[in-house]
Amino acid sequence: MSKPKYQTQRLSLRFFMLMLVLFILQVGLGMVLALQHSDPTLLAGTLNFNTVRSMHLNLGILWILSGFIGAILFVGPLLSRRELAAPWLIKFLFCALIVATGWNMFTQVFAMQGIAGWWAGQPWLQEGLEYIEGGRIFDTIVLIGFAILCYVVLRTFPPLREWNEIHWGLGIGVVALMVVWVFGLFYVPRLDLQEYFRWFVVHYWVEGVWEVIHISLIGILIVLLFKVSVKEVGYAVFWGVVLVWLSGLIGNAHHYFWVGTPEFWQFWGSLFSALEPLPLVFCFWHIYLDAHTNQKPLENAPAFYFILGSVVLEQVGAGILGFTMTFSLTNVWSHGTWVTPAHGHLALFGTFGMLVIGAAYYAIPVLRTGKAGHFDQRLGKLAFWLVFIGVLGLALAFALGGTVQVYIYRTLGLDWFGGDIIPSLSIYKILVAVFGFVLTIGAGLIVYDLSTLGRQPSSVAAPAFPPAGFKPHAVTGWSRPLSGFEAGIWLTAMWVFGFLITFNLLSFNLDVVRMQGNPTLPYLLAGIGYPGLFLTTLLFVWRFLASMEARVTAAAASMAAGGPPAVGLTQALSPAS
Amino acid sequence: MSCPGGICLEPGRRRRALILLGLMMLVFIVLSGFSFIKSRGQVTPNTVTFAAHHATDGKRVFQAYGCMGCHTIVGNGAYFAPDLTKEYQNVGPAWLAAFLPSAGSWPTEVAVLTQLQNKDIAEAAGVDNIEDYYQKYPGAKTRVERRGGQNTFMPNLRFRANEVGQLIAFLKYTSAMNTEGWPPAVKTGPLPARLERLYGRSVAPGTTAAPAPASTGQPTAAAESPAERGAQHVQTFGCTACHSPEDKKIIGPPWRGIYGSQEKLADGTTVTVDDAYIIESILKPTAKTVDGYPEGTMPTYEGLLNDEQIQEIIAYIKTL
Repeated sequence: MSKPKYQTQRLSLRFFMLMLVLFILQVGLGMVLALQHSDPTLLAGTLNFNTVRSMHLNLGILWILSGFIGAILFVGPLLSRRELAAPWLIKFLFCALIVATGWNMFTQVFAMQGIAGWWAGQPWLQEGLEYIEGGRIFDTIVLIGFAILCYVVLRTFPPLREWNEIHWGLGIGVVALMVVWVFGLFYVPRLDLQEYFRWFVVHYWVEGVWEVIHISLIGILIVLLFKVSVKEVGYAVFWGVVLVWLSGLIGNAHHYFWVGTPEFWQFWGSLFSALEPLPLVFCFWHIYLDAHTNQKPLENAPAFYFILGSVVLEQVGAGILGFTMTFSLTNVWSHGTWVTPAHGHLALFGTFGMLVIGAAYYAIPVLRTGKAGHFDQRLGKLAFWLVFIGVLGLALAFALGGTVQVYIYRTLGLDWFGGDIIPSLSIYKILVAVFGFVLTIGAGLIVYDLSTLGRQPSSVAAPAFPPAGFKPHAVTGWSRPLSGFEAGIWLTAMWVFGFLITFNLLSFNLDVVRMQGNPTLPYLLAGIGYPGLFLTTLLFVWRFLASMEARVTAAAASMAAGGPPAVGLTQALSPAS
Repeated sequence: MSCPGGICLEPGRRRRALILLGLMMLVFIVLSGFSFIKSRGQVTPNTVTFAAHHATDGKRVFQAYGCMGCHTIVGNGAYFAPDLTKEYQNVGPAWLAAFLPSAGSWPTEVAVLTQLQNKDIAEAAGVDNIEDYYQKYPGAKTRVERRGGQNTFMPNLRFRANEVGQLIAFLKYTSAMNTEGWPPAVKTGPLPARLERLYGRSVAPGTTAAPAPASTGQPTAAAESPAERGAQHVQTFGCTACHSPEDKKIIGPPWRGIYGSQEKLADGTTVTVDDAYIIESILKPTAKTVDGYPEGTMPTYEGLLNDEQIQEIIAYIKTL
């Protein structure tokens, strides 16, 4: 069995495997939640909805963190051209992560008895705050884990003056990961102040820290996948990070509209968080450029599929859906309803989940076989489409259900969940479960594929080139390379639907809706906006990937004609590469 | 970054971007400071109490039970159950005190009235009769009329002594908070009109257009035997919210086979469940508490049930 370039890169494999276990657990708990939504008595008294939900949220964070750690450990030696520092600490970190996760799941159950473990003014077992439900014991273990990660990464990296943009991105990322966590370590008696600091952790993690790690990892993965130099992505990484902070720093204020903080936040939050899609558009544009200026065929298709999925869903879920509810005039309606989880699922799973799965798809074949693309990639592609369609459908169900909920709950003021709201949402609850099921199947395939991939090196052959049964898209003509103009049209179409959704939320302010109670306009705008946006997203990714396939066609045609392969293909075409 | 044409603008741009970032951080810190200064007049939990309970304790109870995992508070949470921010202002302390101990069924009017007999609750509510209470807390009226006595979806959390009062204190605090106009005021007319708009037909009080979860049954028109009349009182007064007529432990002791049995009390003594004990439990529920059950949860029914009604309830319990 051939080896990865550096021995200590192997340490990342265990984090990817742990990630898969936690991922499938999280998806399973999500299915339980979907069923409990339809039947609130399910498991009541055994595992109440709130307990299952806090496990679902915590696992969602923990498996992505495990994937981040795996990806950072994998690229760390490549970036530093030396082995990782202190491998024993990394092994300890792995054990600590398992213990912390198990402990976290165990303590969440105490919420059903109302036991928080108060001691010295702090809740040590669990604290019942959305996203940061863990108690102080868990928080402390996690803090130590982050400190270890910082130490390992900073000790592995070369001296400061030799850092490139990706070093800076990852270096700042791991340190900020730890620093921001500290804001969640104190019990706050005032509700408004508690929410203020809770969003420090949640918002600055996601939009300040994870985003930076995300941009840096996308950068280095593009470097590895397309064999370009760090210089070519460095520009995008630097400006991506700066734009994220310029918009996200004050953009956090969109969480301070209604939590008891002053009205002036509505101005600052609306203004700056409306800019938050800018870095995402920038990142989106760069993945187009990076993938298309260089004409090599994809060596590892699933890895690129998931990375593309990550950047596109970041654009759609975080960028566009985030934009629609970021103004105080739209947020006043979407706040506290199902409209929010549509954004949440796409932004969190879409952006970060897909990225770490993509990283795992790149790293695991290298770690197991020493070669990047020599495995059966069909299962990975299928799994991508299943989770991609699953999560888009999930978001659609939440968004449409949420629109109905806004009307009944806020416009009509019928606050009876069991009597008025739950029955009105039943169809959307079924849709959530259906698309959740599709996502679960896809997740199961990912776990199966990544845990078995490359285990039998003898049976692994280089993929046939061009692959057997390959047919270009004759009817749609989608095997043409995607031009920048066309990509721009797609992006514009997504934003047009995004604006329709924004108008849908704005229209709840109109007298015809607010005073006369006529829901036609918001329903119509939502009915066009959400399905339009998600369908465009789906088609765009299909188109993008078809255009990547076109390179295979071009190369095959060139070979058939007996001519030299297209520029840049020589290396990829050689089976020994 | 390479410098095309030998002119390198990039480092300067990067420096300016970082300076701008520093300025924005300053703006954010200043705004944050202004958000929590005293002169803003935002209510703080240490100034809010309900009877002998403090809102600061209530917040801890609220977090300990993970309420945010189903409900939302100031709009943040799980969207699985109603937002609780303005709940106190909407339904008032008596309705909450009637609902929270078991949460298994929606309080009936008598159950709310029973709580209103409590001096502390009446004082906190600012009214002492049900008409004024309904006037002041219209949400309570709607709920009693539309669902009183029916089952809820909320799991029974078995709150400990004081926790119910502390939670009410916390909700009183959140109701008093200035949330800058959220949730938006409802402007679509009176409730019957709004219900009609949703269901396309008028919905009479006491019903919902949607199929209700298994109801505990409606009282029949004419009951003959004392035991049957007792069963009706049990229904009206919502006793089964806490006492199962079967073996299930909800909040209080279950009733099947309880008459004539020996119960061990919290103080270690044993008592035989006879007429005298049941009468005392209904009128002075704090006098004796069965071992293993929360103390002080049951309200007194003195003045609400007359001797005849109590005798009929006893006759009903005997049949179980």
